[in-house]
Amino acid sequence: MNARFFPILLAVGLTSASHGVQSLEGDLRKNGDTVVSIFEEQRAVLQRSSAVVKEGRKDLCYGVVISADGYILTKASEVQKISSLSLIVDETKYENAKVVATDPTWDVALIKADAQGLQPVSYAPSSDLPQGTWVVANGASSTTRRRALVGIISAKTREIPASGGAALGVILKKDSKGLEIEAVNEKSGAQEAGLQKGDQITALDGKKVSKIEQVAEFMKDKKSGALVKVGIKRSGKELELDVRLAAKGELTDEKSRNDQMSGRFSHRRTGFPRIIQHDILGNEESVGGPLLDLEGRCIGMNIARADRAQSFAIPVEDLKVLAEQLIKNAAH
Amino acid sequence: MIPSAGLRDAEQGGKVPHSDPEMSNFHPILLLAILPAMAFAAPDRPYFNDKKAPENRKDLEAIQKTLTSVLPKAREATVCIDIGEGSGSGVIVSAEGLVLTAAHVAGGVGKELTVIMEDGKRLKAESMGIVSTTDCAMVRILEKGTYPFVVLDRENSTKLGDWVFSLGHSGGFDKERGSVVRLGRLVRVAETTIQSDCTLIGGDSGGPLFDLEGRLIGIHSRVGEVLAQNMHVPMHEFLTHWDEMTRGEFVGDGPFAKKPETGKGFLGLATEPRPEGGLKVTKVGRESPAEKAGLKEGDVLLKLNGKALQSREDLQNLLKEMAPGDKMALELLKKGKPETLEMKLGER
Repeated sequence: MNARFFPILLAVGLTSASHGVQSLEGDLRKNGDTVVSIFEEQRAVLQRSSAVVKEGRKDLCYGVVISADGYILTKASEVQKISSLSLIVDETKYENAKVVATDPTWDVALIKADAQGLQPVSYAPSSDLPQGTWVVANGASSTTRRRALVGIISAKTREIPASGGAALGVILKKDSKGLEIEAVNEKSGAQEAGLQKGDQITALDGKKVSKIEQVAEFMKDKKSGALVKVGIKRSGKELELDVRLAAKGELTDEKSRNDQMSGRFSHRRTGFPRIIQHDILGNEESVGGPLLDLEGRCIGMNIARADRAQSFAIPVEDLKVLAEQLIKNAAH
Repeated sequence: MIPSAGLRDAEQGGKVPHSDPEMSNFHPILLLAILPAMAFAAPDRPYFNDKKAPENRKDLEAIQKTLTSVLPKAREATVCIDIGEGSGSGVIVSAEGLVLTAAHVAGGVGKELTVIMEDGKRLKAESMGIVSTTDCAMVRILEKGTYPFVVLDRENSTKLGDWVFSLGHSGGFDKERGSVVRLGRLVRVAETTIQSDCTLIGGDSGGPLFDLEGRLIGIHSRVGEVLAQNMHVPMHEFLTHWDEMTRGEFVGDGPFAKKPETGKGFLGLATEPRPEGGLKVTKVGRESPAEKAGLKEGDVLLKLNGKALQSREDLQNLLKEMAPGDKMALELLKKGKPETLEMKLGER
């Protein structure tokens, strides 16, 4: 919305070889090799306690090792619908990793790998650190070596409401008698759950609905990530499907001008109950791993690259609770 | 007009005649007054800035400690500038509420703006002068008060590789979040542009870049496509044009702001000449500058900037010589009573 007041510089000014211009060599910049090499202790933690989550040869994102026997947390929306996941921890590859539980509210998935003797992260006692505190996270990785990227805590810890509110991701047919679905948004929870064109929505969380106003009323206070039981009628048969609510703003491909200057950011980047904000660079693949302090302790888990200037992580307090719950859910 | 403790003390003391620099060199009061200014000139440069790169944990902790200690004061003085159809950032540099920002945020001279403080308080403000070639602007908060402010780096003392931090209301004002801080190094220094690896985005424009002593060294201007290309206008560019900006001048010919074009001004009313002189308003355009100034159908325009209006051509010819944003004084009769309206010409 503010983009018109932030013109992207024309290359001319940057490349002109006018006299007196001084430039700092790449290695000495904030994320240059020389500077990052001072973060070797923290990088070593990423090496043994973060996972590279892969589909075949492709890196999807990172993960946080939370148990010696192969439980790993990652960003759910990056691994959804992937049938064959593998992991790399340190230099070892683990095939056939499985998503065993997910929490749609926080967009976190629990993965289980057939592993033993892994070194889980050590949780920091608190994520309540002053702005300006150094933090370290996963950067581009090779098969054998994790790389560190560095930055600072850069804003207040807070909730990030779903952009545009929560939505099922269906378009209802106008002038139809009931609530007939005319189209299903490709990126929505409705699509994931298998809602189809022609389905008649009859109930939401067990409550009968027949008018669009009732749906709007039901959705009003819902948060993105929440699961809704959607009752439908499909060719005479009654079905009930669990549908994840998405942020309305994430169902379109429309990019604001700020988005256009932000590279590849996370698709799911809003609708989190609480986040720590930091300024570590990255892209949609650099999320899922741990956020470390200078002690190498886990102060959170990177959950979204929001834009050019903002990255979000789930605070350690919430992450610990999530980890316990997901492991419990997986056991059932 | 440049806020400086030293100079202001000298002026207020009234003991140092400005016109006599020879004598003032030896004036004890001036010397006393100059001392704090010199303290600015030779600050305690953090030791880590003289290293090629941090070498160990201790260096990293020193950077962190310095940053966290200067951040609160810098944040207090950082503001969001709401310009209606969008927003930028700015920073307060005097207790009276003088704000520095980018020319492309101010948008021109004499524009009405709203300054939003970190706590959400909204204040009426107005743009003063701008340097359209390098992206400098000055804004003044119109509401009286004592505002938190930061000091400027007057000595151009920041060097390539120095650790710096940026603040700004990235993407617009968000009270729950506050302004966003980013750490980086000064990675490129050119005459009218400095570059850091503090990543900026829309909404940050006009926001402050600080050294790790909390002194203002630049104003955010623009970005390149690469994340590490974040451009700021250096403070010396502001200092060079300080007086012109204070006087409300439009310096240069773009590209960061477009000079209002003569003849493009817009009033938004229709008139007919009265036999006894003056122009009777027959129609006022909706949302027009005329309507906003309070002009109504039936008002009689007598003089524009002191020049009598006898015919429509008189009015047109006078307007032709003016540009959008120009101030004008309109003498008129409202329900028969004489009145003078001060207003600004709008853009067609």
